[in-house]
Amino acid sequence: MNAPQTSGADLATAPEAWLRENPKLSNRQIFRHALARLAEQDPRPVLLEADLGGGGDPFEARHKARYFNLGICEATMLDMACGLAHVGHVVFAHTFAPFGAMRACEQVRLAMAYPRANVKLVCDYGGVSGAFFGPTHHAIEDLAILRAMPGMMVFSPADGLETLLATRAMLDHAGPVYMRLGRNRVSRLDAPRDGFMLGRALCFREGSDVGLIAHGEVGVCVATEAAQRLEAQGVSARVVNMHTLKPLDEAAVLETAERTRLLVTVEEHTILGGLGGAVCETVCAHGLGRRVLRVGIQDRYDPLAGSHESLLRGHGLDGAAVAERVLASLSTRKN
Amino acid sequence: MRAKIQNQELLRTPRTMIRSTIAAIADARLESPSEDGLDSLRAQTRRIRWLTVRLAATASGCHLGGSLSLAEILTALLGRVMRINPREPDWEGRDHLILSKGHAAAGLYAALSAFGFFDSEELVQRYNAEGSIFTGHVNARVPGVDFSTGSLGHGLGLGTGLALGYRLKGLTNRVYVICGDGEMGEGSNWEALQVASHHRLSNLTVIIDRNGGQNDGPTEDILSQSALNERLLTFGFETLEVDGHDLRALCAALEAPGGTTPRAIIARTQKGAGVPMFKGKGPHYAVFSPEQLKRALASMGEVP
Repeated sequence: MNAPQTSGADLATAPEAWLRENPKLSNRQIFRHALARLAEQDPRPVLLEADLGGGGDPFEARHKARYFNLGICEATMLDMACGLAHVGHVVFAHTFAPFGAMRACEQVRLAMAYPRANVKLVCDYGGVSGAFFGPTHHAIEDLAILRAMPGMMVFSPADGLETLLATRAMLDHAGPVYMRLGRNRVSRLDAPRDGFMLGRALCFREGSDVGLIAHGEVGVCVATEAAQRLEAQGVSARVVNMHTLKPLDEAAVLETAERTRLLVTVEEHTILGGLGGAVCETVCAHGLGRRVLRVGIQDRYDPLAGSHESLLRGHGLDGAAVAERVLASLSTRKN
Repeated sequence: MRAKIQNQELLRTPRTMIRSTIAAIADARLESPSEDGLDSLRAQTRRIRWLTVRLAATASGCHLGGSLSLAEILTALLGRVMRINPREPDWEGRDHLILSKGHAAAGLYAALSAFGFFDSEELVQRYNAEGSIFTGHVNARVPGVDFSTGSLGHGLGLGTGLALGYRLKGLTNRVYVICGDGEMGEGSNWEALQVASHHRLSNLTVIIDRNGGQNDGPTEDILSQSALNERLLTFGFETLEVDGHDLRALCAALEAPGGTTPRAIIARTQKGAGVPMFKGKGPHYAVFSPEQLKRALASMGEVP
C-alpha cells in the first residue's frame, strides 16, 4: 500500500489538500487512511478483515488493539460485527464485494440490516474492477441485493474526496451502511463537495437536454465524459452524482426529470435492480411518463480475462458509447 | 478439561456479589433448603416444561421436542449461572444467552417467564398471536433476548463478536450460546469456533443440546455428529460432556473454573424430555389438541 505523506496537510481537517499531497491513492486505500486517522479521536471504531486487508494497513499499524484479521470467514465476520456493535463498538468490516454482499448475504441481512446494527460493511472490488480475476471476483449484483434489505444504506463514492467525507459521515450515522469501492482507479473530481451529506445527491453539472444520473466512481466518470462529448455535439447534459443509492434522493430524480428531456442512469452494476432499477421505480411511482436509458452491466457475466477498462467498454460503459446512445435515443424519442 | 484458573477472582467476585443482589429481588431465584440446593431449580424446570407443553396447545403449536430437551440447560443458566436482572433485562452488567437453535423459542420464552422477565400467562395467551412479540422463532424484542435467531448457524458468530467486544472493553460479561447438534451441520458454526478459539475467548461458553434429532429425523442418520467432542477439542475448545437433564452436572460444568480457551459443553439430552408420554422420542414440532394437552400434563403428573 502506498504510504501517505507524513508531513503536510491533515486528512481530517484539510481533506482536499491531503488528497493533493497523496495523488496516487485509490479510493480503497483512502478509506483505510481515513478510518485510521478518524479513529485517533474516536475510540469506537473497530476494523474487521477476512484475510483481504493487504499488507501495511494504516489502521492496523496505528490501532492494533482494534484491528482483527479473522481469517477467511466472511460469514462469521458479519455475525461478529453485530455482536461487537451490540456492546457499543462502531464496526467496520471489510472484504471484497462479492464475498461481503453475496457469500455473507444472510449474515448481512440478519446481523446488520434487521437489527439496524451500527456496522459499516466496506467492500472493494465493486463491479468488474476485479477484471482479470474473473467473475468470482466481480460484483455486479451487490447493489440490487443490499438495496432490497430494509434499513440498509447503500453508498458508492465517486472519488477520493467523497470516500473521505463518507467515512466520516458513516461514523456519525448510527445504522448499517454498505460502502462499495472499486479497485484500480485513482479518481479525483473537480466538483466541490461543500455540504456533503449521505442520502443527498449532488448536481455536478447543469444541462437541459439529457439528465445523466450516475453512481460510483466509474458511473460518475463515464457520465461526466459523456456530458462533455454531448456538449461538443450541441446537446446540453445535466450530471447528477447519486452517490447514495439508498435512501435514494428522489427529489433529485424528479428535479432532473423536470429540467431535461431524457433520463440516463450510469453505473458499474447490472442494469437490473441497482441505480437503473431505482430510478425506473421512482419515475413509475411518480407517474413521470419518462423513458429511462439504463447504462450498466448488460445482464451477463464476463468469463474471459480482460482489463477493467476493456470489460467496461464491452458493456458500453464509456463516455463515447454513452454519448452515442443518448444521441440515438434523442433522435428517435417520441415524448 | 484444563483446570488452569485465569482471572477467576475478577470473574467470580462481582458475579457472586451481583447474584446476591438479584436473589433478593427475584423470588424465582431464591436458594432452596434442599440438600444439594437444587430443589427450587428443579421446580422451575418443571414449570418451564409445563409452560412449554401449554404452548404446544396454542393454535399454531411449537417446536416442542427441542424446547423440552433444553429445560435443564435453560434453568441452570438463567436460574443459577448467569448474571442477569429480570427487572432490567438490558442491564449493562448482564451475561448474555443466545439461543442459536432459535426454533426452540417456546422453551426459551417459557424459561424467561419462569425467571421473571415477563408474565407467564401473557406468554401463553400471546404466543404466536397476531401482532405479538412472541414469534415462533426467537425474537429480540422479547425481554431478556438480545438477538433474533432461528436461521441456524448465526448464534456462535454473534456470541463470538459479543465476547470479543466485551474483552475489548475490559469487561467481564460472559456469553453463553446454545446450539443444536443438528445445527452443527451449518459451516458458519465451524468458522466461529475457529475464530473464538484463535482469539482465546475464554468468556464464551457453547452448550450443544445433543438431543440427537433434527427436522427430518435422527441426526446420526442425516449428518453424523458422532465425533463432536473430539472435533471441538481439536478446534481448541475445552470440552465437557454431561447429562443435559442433570441440573447438578450442568451447573458444575458451567461454573467450573475457566482456562484461557473458550468452553464447549456437550449436553446429552432427549427430545421431549420430561413428558413420559413421549417415551424419550418427543416430536420435532407439535400442535396439541386440548385432549393431547390433558394427556401430556397428566403423564407429567401435572394438573391439566
